[in-house]
Amino acid sequence: MTGLAVDAAVTPAAGENSRFAPSSDSSFTGTRRLLWLVLRRDRFRIAMWMLGLVGLMVVSASSIVALYTTNEDLEGYARTVRGNSALIIQAGPGYGLDDPTLGAVVMNETALWMFIAAAVMSVFMVVRHTRTEEEAERAELVRAAPVGRHAALASAMIGTLVVNTAIGAGNAVALLTFGLPTAGSLAFGASLVGVGMVFAGVAAVTAQVASGSRTALAAGGLVIGVAFVLRAIGDVGNGLLSWASPLGWAQSIRAYADERWWVLALPVVTTVVLVVAARALQDHRDYGSGLVAQRSGRPEATAQLSTALGLAVRLQRGSLVGWAAGLGALAFFYGLVADQAEQILEDNPDMADFFAQLGVASVTDAFLSTAMLIMTLFATGFTVSSVLRLRSEELSGRVDPLLAGPIDRRQWASSHLAIALAGTVALAFVCGAAMGAGTALMLGEADRVGELIGAGLVMVPAMWLLAGATLLVYGLLPRWSLAAWALVAWAFVAAMFGSLLDLPQWLLNLSPFQHVPALPAAPMSWLPIVLLAAIAAALIAAGLAALDRRDMA
Amino acid sequence: MSSAIQIEQLVKTFGSTRALDGLDLEVRTGEVHGFLGPNGSGKTVTIRILLGLLRADSGTVSLLGGDPWSDAVELHRHIAYVPGDVNLWPNLSGGETIDLLTRLREGGGSVGRQAVDLAKRDELIERLALDPTKKSRTYSKGNRQKVALIAGLSSSADVLLLDEPTSGLDPLMESVFQECVLEATAEGRTVLLSSHILAEVEKLCDRVTIIRQGRTVQSGTLDEMRHLTRTSISVATDRPITGLAAIDGVHDVAADDGEVRFDVDAGALDGTIRHVSSFGIRSLVSQPPTLEELFLRHYGDELDVASGRLDEAASS
Repeated sequence: MTGLAVDAAVTPAAGENSRFAPSSDSSFTGTRRLLWLVLRRDRFRIAMWMLGLVGLMVVSASSIVALYTTNEDLEGYARTVRGNSALIIQAGPGYGLDDPTLGAVVMNETALWMFIAAAVMSVFMVVRHTRTEEEAERAELVRAAPVGRHAALASAMIGTLVVNTAIGAGNAVALLTFGLPTAGSLAFGASLVGVGMVFAGVAAVTAQVASGSRTALAAGGLVIGVAFVLRAIGDVGNGLLSWASPLGWAQSIRAYADERWWVLALPVVTTVVLVVAARALQDHRDYGSGLVAQRSGRPEATAQLSTALGLAVRLQRGSLVGWAAGLGALAFFYGLVADQAEQILEDNPDMADFFAQLGVASVTDAFLSTAMLIMTLFATGFTVSSVLRLRSEELSGRVDPLLAGPIDRRQWASSHLAIALAGTVALAFVCGAAMGAGTALMLGEADRVGELIGAGLVMVPAMWLLAGATLLVYGLLPRWSLAAWALVAWAFVAAMFGSLLDLPQWLLNLSPFQHVPALPAAPMSWLPIVLLAAIAAALIAAGLAALDRRDMA
Repeated sequence: MSSAIQIEQLVKTFGSTRALDGLDLEVRTGEVHGFLGPNGSGKTVTIRILLGLLRADSGTVSLLGGDPWSDAVELHRHIAYVPGDVNLWPNLSGGETIDLLTRLREGGGSVGRQAVDLAKRDELIERLALDPTKKSRTYSKGNRQKVALIAGLSSSADVLLLDEPTSGLDPLMESVFQECVLEATAEGRTVLLSSHILAEVEKLCDRVTIIRQGRTVQSGTLDEMRHLTRTSISVATDRPITGLAAIDGVHDVAADDGEVRFDVDAGALDGTIRHVSSFGIRSLVSQPPTLEELFLRHYGDELDVASGRLDEAASS
C-alpha cells in the first residue's frame, strides 16, 4: 500500500465545451477564506506568542539598557563573552562585540532564543493546519466545498507569515523604542520573520512526507535541533557550518553590527523552494496520509498490551525514544565543548575574578551545570506533554472505552503519569550520561560520567513538580490544561533571563529549578530536593483527587 | 434483581443547560430495551452517567444494583459499552485495540477464559468482515465501529450499553449486528440500545423508552405503545358513511373518490368498525401504527396532547 495518488491519470476527459474544464489553476481556490479560519481559530495562540516573544524582547532590552550605561560596562560584557565557546553555543558568534554597542549586547543575549521560538511556533502552526486537520477529519468538510487541493497548505503558510511578520514588526518596534539604531532593529525583525518562514517551509514538507501529524512535528523539531547544532559548531569553529543552518543565517545578518542585508535572500529563497517542493509533494500523496506509507499492524496484541499502563507505554514510547535521542545528542555535544570553558580563565583575568567571587571552583563545572539546567528544561517539555496526553485522550473520547471497563480514573491517569515520571528520570539520566561521556572524552576524566549523571538526576524532583502542577491544572480546570506550558515557559525565563532581567527573587523562586543545587558547580544539598519531591507528590495527589470528582468531557 | 438499570428523576445540568430534566428509565434484566429520542435529547448523557463518566446532579441511578459513580470499576466488570462515535488510537491496529479492550475488562483472566474470548473474537472478526491488521487511523467510521462492537460483543458482560452502535454500518453488517444482539439476549444478557433506526428497534427490542428534551415521554412494550396510538383505516362502502367524525376517538376524516380515510384511537376501534360496517363495507385496509409514527408524534408539536392522552391512559 503506497501513499501515491494517481491524480494525473484520472483527469476527466473534459470536452472543449465542458463547463468543468479548468480555465486556470483552481488548486488554490478558497485560500483566502481558509486564511481567515486559520487566524480565527488560532487567535488566542497567536496573541500568546505575540505577547511572549515581543514582551520578552521588551523586558530584555529594557534591562540591558538600564544595566549597561557606559562604554566600560559594554566592554566588560564583551570581554566575558568574546571567544568563550561555552557561551557562544548558547548565544551565537557575538557579532559587534569587538566594539560593543547596546544593540550588539541585546542581540547576543536574546536573538538566538527568539529565532528558535519563532521556528518552533512556525512548525507547530503549519502542521496544525495541514496534517492535524486531515487526521481530525475536519479537513474533509472543507475539501468537499469548492476549495482547492493546495488551499489548506497555502493558507497555513500565509497565516504563519502573517504571525511571523507581526512578531518581527513588534520586535523591531520594541527595539526602536529603546533608541536602538533603525537599521539593526529592522534587520533583526526581518531575520526573525525569515527564520520563522524557513521552518514553516520545513514543516510544510514534513507534513507531506510523514505518515502522521505527530511524526511531521517531530521531524520539524529534529530539523530545528540539527540547525542549532550546526550553527553551534560553526560559531565555535571557523563559521563555515553556520552557513548550513537557517538559525546561522538569521544571525549572519549582523543586526547592529554592520548589517549584511543580502543574507536575507537565503531564507527567502529557501522558503520558496521548500513551499514549491511541498506543493509538488502534495500532488503525489493521498489526503490523510503521507508519502511514507502507514505500515500494517499486528493482528493480535502482544501480552504487554493488556493493561492501562501497557497502553500508556505503547502510546508514549515513540515520543520518549525521540526525546531521549535528541536530548542525548545535544547533551553529548555540550559535553564535548565543555573543556573550552576553561580557556576563558587563561584568556580573561576579569572572568577569573568573576568566578572567584561567585565561589565557583571551576569554570568547566559552572558551564556544565548551566548546560545541564538547559537540557533538563528541554526535557521538561516531554514531562508536561506526557501528562497532557491525559487531556487529548479525554477530549478525543478514546478514554471512554477504557473507563467503561473496570478501570478507575486514578488507574488510568496514573498510567500516563507513570510514563511521565519515569520518562523524566530516564531523560535526566540520558542527559547526564551523554554530557558526561562527551566531557570525559575531551577532558580524559572518566569520573565525569557519574558526576554528571548525578547532576542530571538531581533535577528530577523539580521536573516532577511541574508534572504534578500540570496534573493539578488538568484535574481542576481541564479547559486550562495548556496553561501548564506557562509554568515551563516561566522556568525557562527564570533560568535563562533571570539574572539579566534583574527580576525579584521571590518571582524567580516560583520556578522549581531555582532551588535545585547546581551540580557539579555547587555542593549537593538534600533538603530542597526532598521538599521539591514532597510538593510534587502533594500536587499529584491533589490532581488525582480533583480528577476523581469532576465530569469527564 | 429484576431491573438491570433503574433511573428515577435524573437531572444533569451543564451550566444553564438542563441536559436531563427528570428522566426515568427502567431496563429489566434480560431484555433488549430501546432508547429513543431526537438528537440532543439526552440519550448519550444518560449513558455517560451510567458509565460513571458524568456525575448526576439529582435523582437516583442504579445499575445492576450499584451506584454508577462510586461503584464504577466493580460495575464495569459486568458491562460493555459501544459508543456511536468511535475514536481509536491511530497507531494501534484494530486487532490490538480489540485485545486491549477485552483484556482490560477481563483483568488479564485465566488462560481458559482467554481461549474462549479469542474464539469469540475471531468469529466476530470473521462475521463482521474486519481486517484486524490495519492501523486504526486508516479505518473508516464503519470499521472503527466494528472494532468497538467486536470488543463489546466478545466480552462476557451482563449488560451491553450500545449508543447508536450501527450508525456507520452497512445493511449487511447491520443484520449481523442484530443476530449478535439476539444471541446475547439468548444468553440472558441485558441490552440498552439507543438508536435512530426504528426498524432495528422494532426487530430487537422488548420494551422502548422515548425521551425528549431530557424527559421521558413514553415507556413500555411495543404492543402497549401501539395500543396507545391510532390505526389508519381506509374504507370503501356501499352507502356514504355518515356520522363518522362525531365518534369520539376518530380523527382526520377525509373522503376521496368514494373511499374514506381516517385515523382511530385504539380504544375506539371496535365501535368505529361496527359503525362503519352498517354502511356495507366493500373493502377495508387497516395499517397498524408503526414505531416511526410513535416517534414522530412525540417529536412533533403534539407532545402535550400526547402526554395528556398518556396520562389518561395511565389513569384508566
